[in-house]
Amino acid sequence: MTPMIDVVFQMIIFFVCTAQLEREQFSEWINLPDSPNAPEMAQEKDPRTITIEVDEKGKITIGRTPLSISKLRKVLTKTVADYGVYGPSIPIQIRGDAMSHHSNVRKVMDVCTESGLYKIAFIAVKDSVE
Amino acid sequence: MRRKGQQRFAHDNDEIEVSMTPMIDVVFQLLIYFLVTFSTADVLAHLDISRPSPDAVQSKQTPPADMIRVAVLKDGFAINGRSVSGEQLDSLMGRLASVSTKQTVLVNCDDASLHGRLIKVLDMCASHELTQIAVMSGK
Repeated sequence: MTPMIDVVFQMIIFFVCTAQLEREQFSEWINLPDSPNAPEMAQEKDPRTITIEVDEKGKITIGRTPLSISKLRKVLTKTVADYGVYGPSIPIQIRGDAMSHHSNVRKVMDVCTESGLYKIAFIAVKDSVE
Repeated sequence: MRRKGQQRFAHDNDEIEVSMTPMIDVVFQLLIYFLVTFSTADVLAHLDISRPSPDAVQSKQTPPADMIRVAVLKDGFAINGRSVSGEQLDSLMGRLASVSTKQTVLVNCDDASLHGRLIKVLDMCASHELTQIAVMSGK
């Protein structure tokens, strides 16, 4: 019995840790705007999807890594080049803070279009359980 | 501790015995930990837009007249050149959408306005099933 309990606990800890990792790739300090009428996010998203976050002060991050505009341009251009023909169809998701100025979001969109990416979507909160 | 019925296994010295009390303690601790740290994830939505290409040639083009032109200003909205409030914009957009939902909505967003206001307009478009949305930025 005892070894079994040990193994079960190890498994619980493993699953708890891996479940947390999924959530922690996004910043928790971004207050997403509300949009109750927009279509819900699909469960299965394109694995190539790049999520760019723009916070209240205009700081741009990808996967918790802060980037300058020039660095973002370099990253996106390289990614598009790496994917070849399929490059421009990489979906971009922008998680913009509701209180951020449009100019900050606009810079990100401009860099995306410059890199040839055209599938741009904003992320908003459809329904929050409080 | 050994009961009478177990006498026949007396030769079996290494008896398996799990002390339940500490385990239940630990499990309760874990349970409390998970209850406290549990937070429900928000249901997220996506608002797809298209963006005009940054070429100088294309930016000079004037938008065709049959488009719904919505402007997001710093304090207010405008539709087809007429400044309106949020509710008016919603009702006007609903009326235009009832004609055809295939129309392109050209959203021109002021740099100084907040991102949340742009999303509000995009949400209105989504509620009226207008899906052809282009977002432009301007002063």
